Order: sequence, then C-alpha cells, then structure tokens
Amino acid sequence: MNATQQLQDIFAAALSIPAAQVTNELSYQSIPEWDSVSHIYLITELEAAFNISIDTEEVLEMSSVEKVKETLRKHQIAID
Amino acid sequence: MMRLYDLIAANPQLVYVDPATGQHFRVTDLTHTLDIEPRRGLAFLYIDNSIAAIEALLNFLDSPFTIALLSPKLNITYKQQLEQLYRPCYIYDPSRTTVEGFEATTRLFRNSTQSDYSIHPDIKVLLSTSGTTGSPKFVKLSEDNLVQNALSIIDYLPIQHHDVTPLTLPVFYSYGLSVLTTNSMAGGQVVCTSRDVVQKEFWEDFTRYGYTSIAGVPYVYEMLHRIGFCKKEYASLRYMTQAGGRLSPVLAKTFGEYTAARDKQFFIMYGQTEATARMAYLPPEALLSKAGSIGLPIKNGRFDISPDTQELVYTGPNVFGGYATGLAGLQTFDHNPVLHTGDMAEKDAEGYYYITGRMKRFVKLFGTRVNLDEVEAILKNALNGGTVACIGVEDKYLLVQHLGTLDGSAIKQLLSEKLQLHVSAFRIQQVDEILLTPNGKVDYTAMQQVGLAEKV
Repeated sequence: MNATQQLQDIFAAALSIPAAQVTNELSYQSIPEWDSVSHIYLITELEAAFNISIDTEEVLEMSSVEKVKETLRKHQIAID
Repeated sequence: MMRLYDLIAANPQLVYVDPATGQHFRVTDLTHTLDIEPRRGLAFLYIDNSIAAIEALLNFLDSPFTIALLSPKLNITYKQQLEQLYRPCYIYDPSRTTVEGFEATTRLFRNSTQSDYSIHPDIKVLLSTSGTTGSPKFVKLSEDNLVQNALSIIDYLPIQHHDVTPLTLPVFYSYGLSVLTTNSMAGGQVVCTSRDVVQKEFWEDFTRYGYTSIAGVPYVYEMLHRIGFCKKEYASLRYMTQAGGRLSPVLAKTFGEYTAARDKQFFIMYGQTEATARMAYLPPEALLSKAGSIGLPIKNGRFDISPDTQELVYTGPNVFGGYATGLAGLQTFDHNPVLHTGDMAEKDAEGYYYITGRMKRFVKLFGTRVNLDEVEAILKNALNGGTVACIGVEDKYLLVQHLGTLDGSAIKQLLSEKLQLHVSAFRIQQVDEILLTPNGKVDYTAMQQVGLAEKV
C-alpha cells in the first residue's frame, strides 16, 4: 500500500468517516467528526504509522487534509 | 436577591469581544436585541461560544424565561425528541432554517402553539447531565444557585477587571457556563470563541488579546501538553483552572511546577453540574504539597463524610433543585441544600479532601460523564443479550470485557455513535470469564485491578 492510500485510511479510521469523504479540502472542525479529540488521535496515529515526530508548530498547521499532506512531505513521506 | 443578569449588567468594565471580526460589545449592546415576549415559559438554546450565541443567552437571562442550554452539535433526531417532549416556546438554533410547528422570527423559532403547562418560578436554567447523548434528563438550577456559585468562585479565583478571558469550554456545560458567569460579573474582556488549543488561530488570538487565563478539562491539559505548551512563555497569562474529572498526577505536577516557577497560579477544582458547577478547589500554594487532593470547600459550602459509606456530602446554596426528565419535572424545585456526590472521600489533618472512589458507576471521558450501567444496557441490547461488563479506568478510557467472538471494532463503533465520543475512548477485551463476586454479581473491583494492570 502506498503512503497516500495509507494516509487516506488513517484519516478515515481516526475520524470514523468513509474514506471517500477524505478529500484535500476537508478541514478541521468542518465536520463534527474532526474535533480536537480525533485530531490529537490522528496526529498520534500518523506518528506511529510513518515513524515520525510531529512538533508543536506542525500540529497547529495541520488544519486540513492538504496541510497534513504538506507536513508529511516535509518529513520525506512520499504523498501524492 | 439580584438576578444573574443584573449582576452582569452592573459590571462597568465588561466587554464581550468577537475575535472573528475584532468587534467589542457592551452587555447593553447584546440585550433587548431579540423579540422575546415578556412572559414565562421554556426556551431551548443550542449555543456554541460565538458572540451571537452569547447574545441569545444574555437576552434570555434578562427575560422571565427558563432556559435549557444545549449542545448545537446534538444529532437532529435527539433535538427533535427533546423538543417533542418539552415543547419549548422558543428555540435558538442557527443550524436550522425551519422547525416544524414553529414560526421563524429574527434569529429565533417561536412555537405556533401556546404552551399549556406551567414551570416552577425558581427554575432559571436547565443543564444536561450528559451533554451529547440527547438524554432528556436535566439539572434544574435557580437564579440563586447561579449567583451563589459564581460569588463563591469569584471569592477564590483571582478574577480582575483588566482580565481578558477566552471561553475555552462550551457554555452549555456547567464548567464553561461558570467561566462565563464569573468573568461577566467580575472580569473585563470576555472573548467569545469556539476556537480550541489545537488551532493556530487560538494562539494568534492569545497573543492579540493577551489572554490572562485558560480553563480546561483534563483532556485540554493533555492536548496542551502534547503541543508543547510548557516549552513556551505566555507573559499575559496569570492563572489556569482545571475541573471536569481527575487530572493525571504527572500533568498536575507538570503544570503545577510550570506555573509556580513563573509566578502564575494553577487551580485544580472539583464540582458537579448538580452543584451548579463548583464545590471545592485546591489553593495553588498547596498544589504540590497536597497532590491528588480536591482541596477545600468553596465559600458558603461545607463537606461532610458519611460515617457508614465514606460518601462525600456537600451542603451549600448552589445545590440544584432536582432533576427533570419531562414536563412533570418542571413543576417542582426542591430547596434542599444537601448533595450526595456519589464520590467517596477522606479528609486529612489539615482539612484537605481526597476522593478515594466512586459509589455510582460512571466514568468521565473527555469531560463527559458516562453512566457505565447504561453502556452495559446499550451493549446487551445491541448484542442480543451477550455477556459484557464495563468499567472506567482512571477517567482515561472505558474498558469493555466480553465473552465469545464479538467484533471489537464494531463494539467501539457502536459505542462511539451512541455516546458521541471518539473511538479511542474505548478498549475492548475478550476474556474467558467475567469475574463475579461470591453473591454472583460482576466483581467490578477485581476488574478494576485488571484494567489498571493493563494500562500502558
């Protein structure tokens, strides 16, 4: 499974939403499922899955699927 | 006895700030702005922390109406069920454009049918005990409850007229409401925001307005810790408060040391919605020497420990007037100042109280109270009578033990939907047998040992 697909699955599981709903435009607090609780859970899952450490500034920047992808790319993860 | 609204309106320094637009409002700018008939009745307010929601709340506080404060994120089915049961005269809910049986007026829905039931004159506010599950069970609070509890809190918190206080907790939740009432009465600027600590915008507002305090449930402190709060400096911050469940000893120490080293104060507090909000607080100077304590009773409050059961019993003017689970419950208000907290406690030689256990079976998850017997009932119902047992582990997660071959992730999904809590709040364990006591009941104490041993 490539990293893009893996990211899609992690998002869907962390927010408890169908994978099809995970689009680049989806943003924090735009749906009830993406609240602070699922956000922190998402970060923890991303760190475990990609074996990276996400720092404070990055957590605050990760306010949409697109921005999460940008952050992962900075960590050398190959995301489309 | 002055009304809560009168005490708020009497604060000459009070300004409500809308960080979305940067606009400032006096309390008089935010009242008499909605068309509310001058009579008694019930209003349902589905409010977030936006300036528009606070405006609706202030309008109704300055009216004879009884106000039910509800989460705007409640599932629409739950909203409709509650409205059919209680038949409110007004609904404030910006998320809907129409409500059947109601006429849309300016920012409100008015019931097309005149209400045909009376409400006890002492009931001013109704708060939900669960928040998210749409339970029809409300805590009945009077003007006197709200005012007395706010005054007791103002007595120990360093609230000042030049404060800038963000509403970091939902105001439909008792702790969040107390932040609003106390700072409206004795503070300065109240920033009406639903932004939270994992958003960049929250920290931009923090700097822009110079926030002087942060209020949080244990989960907020976990998030603050996760985002590296203690690695930075916040010159404007004077104090922090925590309530809504037990904070882990590690975090209590971390934030206690961080604040003490910078001449700031950290208040660990104890309360319940049934006591309007607050019953006790730990003075910041005792935070490290009395670790794990809930502290001392608030002004005008008293604790007793029941000699037979060790139950902590609170007496004070902020104790609620009973529950309402339907219209009949709105006819009465019990003036009984004694509250059986359901927590067991000890008192040390210097008068500090410590919670040692719980008599009622519930767990607090992300600040939300979850009744464990109800969870078992939900599961047994959904699983066609399969054997399950539930406990809460340190207000961190809910542990479900089951026999047989149930799908763990399906159980998590079901509980997440029913309780409106994130799946990470649940852990599922398959066991060969559910431990029983000699008289054949589930041995929750033994389960608790397993739960603690399992902890990572």
